[in-house]
Amino acid sequence: MPDQSLALSVRGLTKRYGDTTVLHPLTLDIPDGEVFGFLGHNGAGKTTTIRLLTTLLPPSGGTAEVAGHDLRTDPLGLRGAIGYLPENVRLYDRFTTRENLMFFARLSGLSDAADRVGRTMAFLGIEPLAERRVGTFSKGMRQRVGLAQAILHDPSLLFLDEPTSGLDPMGVRLLRDIIEQLNARGMTIFMNTHLLSEVSRTCSSIAVLAHGKLVFQGQMDAVTERYGDDRALEALYLGVGEQESAA
Amino acid sequence: MTGARIICTQSLATLVRERTVLLVIALFSLMVLVSAWLGWSATHTVNTIYSDAAAYLTSVGEPVPPNPVSLGSPLAVLRNVTVYVGLIGTFAAIVIGQRLIEGDRRAGVLPLIGARPLSRASFARGKIAALCLSTTAMMITAATVSALTLAVLPGAHVTGAEWGRLAAFFLLAWGYMTLFGLVALGAAARISTMAGGLLAATVLWLAVTFVLPAITGNVNPTAAINPISGLAVAPDTPLFTQLGFWLGPISLSEHFNYLSAGLMGYRPDALAPRGLVAPLACLVAGFIAAGGFAVVSCLTLDPNAGGPDA
Repeated sequence: MPDQSLALSVRGLTKRYGDTTVLHPLTLDIPDGEVFGFLGHNGAGKTTTIRLLTTLLPPSGGTAEVAGHDLRTDPLGLRGAIGYLPENVRLYDRFTTRENLMFFARLSGLSDAADRVGRTMAFLGIEPLAERRVGTFSKGMRQRVGLAQAILHDPSLLFLDEPTSGLDPMGVRLLRDIIEQLNARGMTIFMNTHLLSEVSRTCSSIAVLAHGKLVFQGQMDAVTERYGDDRALEALYLGVGEQESAA
Repeated sequence: MTGARIICTQSLATLVRERTVLLVIALFSLMVLVSAWLGWSATHTVNTIYSDAAAYLTSVGEPVPPNPVSLGSPLAVLRNVTVYVGLIGTFAAIVIGQRLIEGDRRAGVLPLIGARPLSRASFARGKIAALCLSTTAMMITAATVSALTLAVLPGAHVTGAEWGRLAAFFLLAWGYMTLFGLVALGAAARISTMAGGLLAATVLWLAVTFVLPAITGNVNPTAAINPISGLAVAPDTPLFTQLGFWLGPISLSEHFNYLSAGLMGYRPDALAPRGLVAPLACLVAGFIAAGGFAVVSCLTLDPNAGGPDA
């Protein structure tokens, strides 16, 4: 029986390409209701981890239970329970926001697709964009439509890959507010990022990945307590990075 | 609505908004119209000359020979259609097949689709159904134009059997076109670069249309773009004989042209008969192989490759 109190339980998850290991055996537990920040330098293996956990990449080894579904034996059930926003979300340029969202709502098997799309657009404040073609949108507008497709089926676990990448400060703030609201609804958030300021404001727990290896995992409060100042996260991030490089 | 149906519907909706696809389909439809006009014009000219000649012969008391138009199959006036299907129709199918995958990849939606509760098999079924429906629509257009041409052509008396042969030709043409579309769909799923996927299918199309007929049946390459028998006596050399023996079965363009010419009633007498079964079996085998390639490629498609996050 899956442990219902864990949104994510990863055991020895590995990814190799030939002789190159891009993700060393990863073991990780994330309780329900967390906003989890997954930190790491560029190329650390964060995106690979998200792709493995969303079934977009087959693992080379290990297991994971995502939103109560086994990664290997129940991929369809898993996909039905998660939402995913990639770093550079594009969508169908020649379709309107509503048309794009209707497509993804139907793919998610929603019987009340039109209603859900309407409610999601209202929640994210993108109703004025409903009948406009996505191809005319700025990065920030696309990001909100991308987020809409990720949450319209009300997933229990939401994967965000560098969600603030390329956004202006207003867009970052707006996204932070949305994440907080989604979390308040009970949605667990798994967020890849290397923006430390966002992590310290938004996340309740973090892990740091360096060169494909998990080098730290803990609660945000504990990090602040351990390093004892408001630059705790930066100290931790740089510290584990240097340790890893030295090793 | 099932997952495959959702993918199919969305793919068709995407295709009709793609300018390149619309342009190629419009070109194909235009060439079918041109072909019908050419057939109508040639027949009209012969009929006019025949009427004048018949009137003259009657006035001088000479016997009037039968109208040459009525001697052959009326379907032969549509011989250009077989050429346009073999060239532009297949190329249009390649563009459609390639765009069905590449359009999603360029839009960056493959990872979003891949993270939905949709099986890869449903995805493959949806994409292949979209391709088949697209080529069916093209064939229905071509068949309608051709049938109207025959219906309004003066002196063309099409029997029930000939309507049946025309229908059989369009079924054959649909299969031949769709075969190339399936190859393009599979290539686009397997090769993540836009140019690579299109190039692979186009090279195969060029080889099947122009190269293989030349080295296996001694068919002059111009025969592929002109419905005149381009056959010369095949050189009697061991190399040519061996090439013909081993590569002949995969020379699908030859099989298609041979069967089309038989169905439309313009097969040259000089052409050695091959029967119906062997060429048809080769085409069916080619279709199954292309379908298998498309299915396997869609099942193993890497949704991350080639997209904006690659």
